Order: sequence, then structure tokens, then C-alpha cells
Amino acid sequence: MSTRLARILTTIFILAVVLLPIYWLVSTSLKSNREITQEGTLYPHVPTLDNYVRLFTEKQFGSYLTNSLVVTFFSVAIALIVGAMGAYAIARFRLPFGMERKVGLFLLTLRIIPPVVILIPVYLLMLSLGLLDSWLGLIATYTAFNITFCVWMMESFFREIPVDLEEAAMVDGDSRFGAFRRITLPLAAPGLAATAIFAVLVTFNEFLFALALTATPRAMTMPRGTATLIGRIDTDWASMSAAGVIGALPIVFFALLVQRHLVRGLTMGAVK
Amino acid sequence: MQGETQARKHRLQGAGLDLALPYLMLAPGLMIVLGVLVYPLWDGLRASAKAYRYGSPVADVGLQNYVRLWSDAQFLNSLWVTVKFVALSVSLEAVLGFALALFCLHEFRGIRLLRTVLIIPMVITPVVVAIVFRLIYASDAGMLTALSEAMGGGAVQILGSPLKAFIGLVVLDVWEWTPLMFLILLAGLQSLPHEPFEAARVDGAGAWRVFADLTFPMMRPVLAVAIVLRTIDAFGTFDQVFVLTRGGPGEATRLISIYGYDTAFKFQQTGYAAALFVTIGLVVLALAFSAIRLLRRVDAS
Repeated sequence: MSTRLARILTTIFILAVVLLPIYWLVSTSLKSNREITQEGTLYPHVPTLDNYVRLFTEKQFGSYLTNSLVVTFFSVAIALIVGAMGAYAIARFRLPFGMERKVGLFLLTLRIIPPVVILIPVYLLMLSLGLLDSWLGLIATYTAFNITFCVWMMESFFREIPVDLEEAAMVDGDSRFGAFRRITLPLAAPGLAATAIFAVLVTFNEFLFALALTATPRAMTMPRGTATLIGRIDTDWASMSAAGVIGALPIVFFALLVQRHLVRGLTMGAVK
Repeated sequence: MQGETQARKHRLQGAGLDLALPYLMLAPGLMIVLGVLVYPLWDGLRASAKAYRYGSPVADVGLQNYVRLWSDAQFLNSLWVTVKFVALSVSLEAVLGFALALFCLHEFRGIRLLRTVLIIPMVITPVVVAIVFRLIYASDAGMLTALSEAMGGGAVQILGSPLKAFIGLVVLDVWEWTPLMFLILLAGLQSLPHEPFEAARVDGAGAWRVFADLTFPMMRPVLAVAIVLRTIDAFGTFDQVFVLTRGGPGEATRLISIYGYDTAFKFQQTGYAAALFVTIGLVVLALAFSAIRLLRRVDAS
């Protein structure tokens, strides 16, 4: 009986630690600045949605959201297609000099280096190509980063699929690529989904490169736009908290929706 | 030669187009990565051997930028702050994550809710996590101040004091990333074989003995991998600090990434910043590879 009580109390404690900070963000976003700084209430006494309305009417959060969705969609989609092909080649073929394994190791090495290391030269590259403050510049950068881990994750998913099925399809007259497309790819769908979800999370949340590569609402993503708001008006807690809620809402909603795949993607590799 | 090797090694590969297929499948991804990541990496190496003024190179300085790093008090301080931050955060996350995973190993009511809720911190945009914690720490609008005032106390000041700001940053990181540690370790615990534990129960071993003699030794590889992954990741922490403290007060929370960013974009010392980042990249790679080698040895034994 006492262990059960301890278990319940521990659960409540953990829930409180995780949820109280989020409660405070949401609750602050529903208060006026006056209520926030002068009254210090523990919940919104006069709830208002003004802070949210202001974000979209005065602060271009509509553009930020559009930019984020476009950039995330294209850089994840391209990385998945290109990465799936590369991963398949690494998982299934034996090339001279063990080339395929070297390529895999090389991509993993690139993945280990902290992205901040190549921030300056990527900035200079985009500057010289005239791609600063554009969708294309961000999409190119994020696609490349996504490829490094998409190949690595998907390779292990392809390895789990028996070769026999492809062989059977090829005996029936499929080309190798046809067998890959019609047999292997659909079988690897859960793994591809886990990879895609992980890529969406990383891309949507990325801030550092968005900070260096974008400068106006033309290309600024959600995290970038939110940070701008904070830089400019240090004590507008109301806007800041509403921006936080809007910034996090799409990705948290998405994550809870695809929870099972997400956990698989996040924990894979570590356990194997 | 190529054809021969392949024919010998692989009965699957047909003739004609299928011979070129692996290369055709690898090419697009490699080209993007070479263009957008590897070329800049090479370019960064070149930039690190130059002196810049107002954003353009003015002179070749060889390795001087690298030498200068080790007499730059601000660099050394940011390195020290980073090491402290990583060591403290990751070890706290490992301990708490392990405890949490052990706690959740046995099914009980509420566990699904708990696991769902624990996903939230690590998927929230890091910039927003920093906003959340600014709202907790702020001396006027903060949750801590509001709670303290509700209980009759005064305003709580966190981000103004060097030590408290640093601890505040560690708390943020622990809040954000303990769940990841928890998920990895829980998956590891669930994949352990049952037999040894049943045998131990038959022998009447206590909970502590089971943990010290069975669970912990068997979990060591997973624990090590989780710690290595988090350490590599934590080394590059940027977003949270940029929004929470911008490195201050003073240099108390100025991680190496923040210092590098400022050197490049605020002080416009492109070459020096490039040298700094190349150094960091090498350090992290060396860390990662020695960790991998160590893990292999543990695996083999």
C-alpha cells in the first residue's frame, strides 16, 4: 500500500515539474502586461486573446509560420527521397574498396560535428550565391543536414528487410530499382516515418542557421521570428509568452500525434 | 575489374543499368552534402588561416589564429564554462533519467500519461524552452517571484547573478533533456533478458543487489551511448543560451558556441572565429571517436 502511495506521489511530482513551466507560459500569454508585472497573479484574472491577435496583425507571425512550413516540408521531403536511395545503396550493395561503408561512416562523422562549426562558411557561401534571406538558402542547408542522419537511420531499417523478397520480385521481371521502389520502400514505411518525424522536429525547431541566414519576414522561420521579438522588446512579457505558445504549438501537436513513431526514432541506435 | 569484383561478390547485381545503380543512388545525396556541408568545412579551414577586416580577408596568418586562442582569456573562460555546463547537465540527466526509467519499468496506472507528458520538453522548440524559463526566472513577471510573493516573500532574482544564472541554465537543460535520457534508458531496460532477474528473485536477492549486480552492469553499454550522444549534443548548445541570458551576466553563461558566434558576427573577426570553430569541431570529433573506441572495447570484453 505504501509503495503505491509513493508511486502516485512521485508521478504527480514529475507531472508537476514538467507541466508547471508550460502552464505558466500559457497562463502568462492570456494576461495583459499590466496584470503580469503589477499584479503578479497566479492565473489570468481577466483572460484575453489580445496578445495572440497582435502577433498576427502587427508582428508578421503569419509569414513566419508559412516560411517554417515551406522550408520544413521541402528540406525533409528532399532529404528523405535522396537519403532513402543512398541508404539503400549502402545497405544492399558491396562496392569496390568498401566504398559504401566509407560513405556511411563519412556521413556519420559529419553528423557528429556540431553544426555551429560550419556556420560561418555556410553564411559566406549563401552570401556569395545571393541566397541569404531566402527559402532556397535555408532549404539547401537543412536538406544537407537532414541527409546526414536520414541515410544513417534508414540504412538500419533497410537492413532489417530480407533480401529474398527483392530477389523474388526480380525473378518476376522487376529491375533492381523497381524492386526497391515496389517492395523494399513500402516494407520500410514505419522506419521511414520515424526518420521523417525526427527530421521534421529538428528542422522546424532549428534556430542557429535561421538566425545567421535570414534577416526579414520574407524568410524568417518561427523560432527566428520569435527570437527577434524578444530582442526588440525586452519586457513585453505578454507578446513574448504568446509567441512562445504559437511557436511551440504546431510541433508539440505534431509530436503527440505521431508519438509512437517518434519514440522509436529518438531511441533507435542508442539501444542497438 | 569493377565488374568482376561485383560479379564475384554479389549475385544480385544484374547487367547494364543495374551495375551503375548503386552509384546513381548514392550520387544525389552525396552531391548535396559535398556542396552544402563539405565545401564550407574546407572553406572554413582556409578562412581560419587568414586575418579579416570588416568581413573581408586582408592577410594570410598561417596558424596564428589557432595559437592566439590559447592566450585568449575569454576563449579559455568560455571553454571552461562549456565543460562545466556539459558535465553538470549530462550527469544530472543520466542519474535522473535512469531513476525515472527504473520507476516506469513496471506497468502501473498513469504510466502512459507520464510517458506522453515527458515527450513535451524535448520536442518544444529550444527557443521557446528558453522563453519558458525566462518567464520562470524573471524578477517581475516570473513564476518563482509570483510563488514567493503568494507565500509572503519578496521578488526572486535569478538571471542577474552569475552563479544563479549558470545554475538556471543547467536546470533548463536538465528539464529539456532528461526525458530523452529516460526514453533511451527505458528502451534499454525493456530489452534486457528476463532470465537473470528471475534467477535472482528465486535466490532471494534484494532490490539493491539486483540493481548493483545485474541491472547496472547490463545497462552500462546503453548508458554509455546515451551519455556520449547527449554530451556531443550539449557541446553545441546555442539557442537556449542565446535567448535566456545571451551569455551573461558578464561571461557566466557564455558557452563556446555563443563566444564563437559573437566573434564572427558581432566583432567581425571571421578568421579567428573560423579557427575557434575548427578547434571545437576537432575536440568534439576526438571525444566522439575515443568514446566509440572505448565502447567497442567494452562490447568485446
